[in-house]
Amino acid sequence: MAEVFRSLRLYVLLQRASARGALQYRLNTVIGILSGAIWQGTGFAFIWVVMHTFPSLAGWGLAEIAFLYGLRLTAHALAMIPLMSVNDIQWVVRNGEFDRFLLRPLNPLVQLMGNRMGIAQFGDLLVGVTLLAVAGQNAQISWNAWLIAFCFVAIIGGALIEAAFFLALCSLALRMIDTFALRVFVDDVFSKFGSYPMKIFGGVTEWLLTFVLPVAFVAYIPASVVLGKLDTPLALAAPLLGVVLVALAYLVWRRQLDHYQSVGH
Amino acid sequence: MIRVEGLTKVFRRPRTFSGPFGALRTLVTRQHVEKTAVDDVSFEIHEGEVIGYLGPNGAGKSTTIKILTGILTPTSGTVEVNGLVPWRDRSVNARNVGVVFGQRSQLWWDLPLIESLRLVGALYDVPAPRFERSLKKLRDLLGLDEFLDTPVRQLSLGQRMRGDLAAAVLYEPPLLYLDEPTVGLDVVAKEAVREFIVETNGAGRTTVILTTHDLADVEALCKRIILIDHGKVLFDGAIDALVNEPRRLVVTLESEPEEVRGVPRDAEGRYVFEIHDDLPGMIASIAAEHTIRDLSVEEPDLESVIKGIYTR
Amino acid sequence: MTRIGFRLALAYRSNIIITCVTLVAQVFLLRMIWTSVYGSRPSAAGLTLDALLAYLTLANLQAFATHTIVAHTIHDRIRTGTVFFDLARPVGYLRQMAGFQIGNTGGGLLLLAPVIPVVLLVGSITVPVNGLGYLVTLALGYVIAVQLALLISLIGFWTMETGAISLFYRLVSQFFAGTMVPLTFFPGALGALAEILPFKYMGYVPAAIYVGHISDVSGPVLVEVGWIVGLGGLLVLTWSRARRRVVIQGG
Repeated sequence: MAEVFRSLRLYVLLQRASARGALQYRLNTVIGILSGAIWQGTGFAFIWVVMHTFPSLAGWGLAEIAFLYGLRLTAHALAMIPLMSVNDIQWVVRNGEFDRFLLRPLNPLVQLMGNRMGIAQFGDLLVGVTLLAVAGQNAQISWNAWLIAFCFVAIIGGALIEAAFFLALCSLALRMIDTFALRVFVDDVFSKFGSYPMKIFGGVTEWLLTFVLPVAFVAYIPASVVLGKLDTPLALAAPLLGVVLVALAYLVWRRQLDHYQSVGH
Repeated sequence: MIRVEGLTKVFRRPRTFSGPFGALRTLVTRQHVEKTAVDDVSFEIHEGEVIGYLGPNGAGKSTTIKILTGILTPTSGTVEVNGLVPWRDRSVNARNVGVVFGQRSQLWWDLPLIESLRLVGALYDVPAPRFERSLKKLRDLLGLDEFLDTPVRQLSLGQRMRGDLAAAVLYEPPLLYLDEPTVGLDVVAKEAVREFIVETNGAGRTTVILTTHDLADVEALCKRIILIDHGKVLFDGAIDALVNEPRRLVVTLESEPEEVRGVPRDAEGRYVFEIHDDLPGMIASIAAEHTIRDLSVEEPDLESVIKGIYTR
Repeated sequence: MTRIGFRLALAYRSNIIITCVTLVAQVFLLRMIWTSVYGSRPSAAGLTLDALLAYLTLANLQAFATHTIVAHTIHDRIRTGTVFFDLARPVGYLRQMAGFQIGNTGGGLLLLAPVIPVVLLVGSITVPVNGLGYLVTLALGYVIAVQLALLISLIGFWTMETGAISLFYRLVSQFFAGTMVPLTFFPGALGALAEILPFKYMGYVPAAIYVGHISDVSGPVLVEVGWIVGLGGLLVLTWSRARRRVVIQGG
């Protein structure tokens, strides 16, 4: 436990250092956040335009879809803000920087995460939280303390699911297997299909998105619970899936780490 | 301090595929490419020694160092560093060793040097008073004051190297690995690095393992060297023993007979004699039989001795 | 330059393969969403579901085909200084860059070709109502796309950072091209804005002509030619300024 706190403290220290470095390029930071926000903004603008003509998408109104969209986006942002620098792993392994992480008395994953913060993802967070706040008031939700708590847990659980897939794929780079293309694809599936009611896909696709790549668990199932569209006790456990998956992903990471071969012997 | 026995490292890579599903094929393939980088290496290093670990590019130096520091897991053999198995007790071992890679800085590129040093201090849990004491000493020893507040990306190579050395010894590790610490430095900076190594070794307080291509470093710093090539140890012993060979007389002649006094003509048309005592007498007796075109006396030096060992 | 652009497209084929896969996913997603919102309605805003799906499939293929990378390339070459080699060549700079983009599009299309049947299967297609009109308006729309991309990339001669501007341009142009929603559905002021902007000629106009949603071809063609002439003039003007700037900064 003491080691966990120590890692957390050092992670914050490393992240602060990288932020101080990044702030020297202030304009880039602002542009990064803005482009993240605009990217997601145009994504939602599409839904808004469609639902201007068609008030219902598989029985979901605009405010309800906005809530779903916001939930997924917030989870996505929370997953990627700390993990963004893991995306560079291919590069970090290739230029030998990863060797240094193994030479220091701190978990290499924590050091890798502390390398750089996801900047554009703060734009995602901005749009996501805004959507949640606005939609949370406009959709017919009878808020109570339990529901709010469930929302928080659901966002964390959703973030963990995305983080798990991302981490597992990234860790293959320790064995010089390039998964960048695959990561882009998985991220694309999460962001494209995770923001809509699964019902519109129907049949095989819905099943695949629920049980193979559990996109549905990130936001769709929790949002259905909050909006009163789904009322099985099992759905309340959806956030737990994230915990399980992230633990599995960490095992994959550890296993790949054992096979790490460094470069340029 | 360090005991290495029968150390072997075979790199086994899955064959990599390119193309649209290359990553996937690489992942599931059973085809492998193998390469033995370190082959049955054994040696022992005692506390306080300064060892030159030498070998041409690709000889297996870096692989050995990476195993000793715990970055890599060997295929077979045993290694003990300070009573620890480095790759198994990586994070404990990490506190005992300082590592400098001449080609790669461990400092934070965009931050002033002092902040990098503070981060290193934090990562190694150096308490504040000890940190200040250590920093004070290093500031004097390495002359850090003039660039302590400069972002690392603006430092000259020599300054950056001094910063890296400071970061490696800040937490006072008993063992120091220096991988080409003088590469690309000018004469003055090289001298500063050497002085620092001597000072840090402090007559036996810190054990230093030095890999370098600059033999002047080795002659200035190491009493003992380990030579390695193709993954095997070729020589392990005192430099004195290596260089303690007789001087040689090298002669070229007008007529080029197959051999002169038992010495055959070498590929360059020269005859190389070992000088034992009477040099003038030797020259006189050769001149009596042949017309000498050119002659020189070669002192044994480390470089030619080592070259000799590699080509043997 | 045309050849370099073409080869570059082939060299980065893994990138393009990702783009192809995401294109298929995108078309599939759009089909599902629109099928769902249409429900049992036979048509909306004058478009039947079949026509709409064909429109969306085409518009997305077009978005892929009219995607330009020349701004990115120019920016890179300005930053690394290789732009001076381009300027030293005896062929005009703008012509070189346009050639580069056209070659790149060609390479991209070659890689796209095997994916087209998949996209058509995942999406949907109908027989063209006006095939010739489609090709003419699309070709002219492509010229506009390249002109706009060149114009955007020339900004790089003034500000060193153009990554964000390029991204912003891409998002806005795709949105207003009607790639995901036909302009017919844009409400009020947004619709009026989309009608005025030239981006619709890369997506909406040709695809709508194909499915018969727009029957008048000569009108759009005239406006397109007008845009091309106007943008061409603006390009020449901007370039002469940019070039003076390069000379002054003097490498």
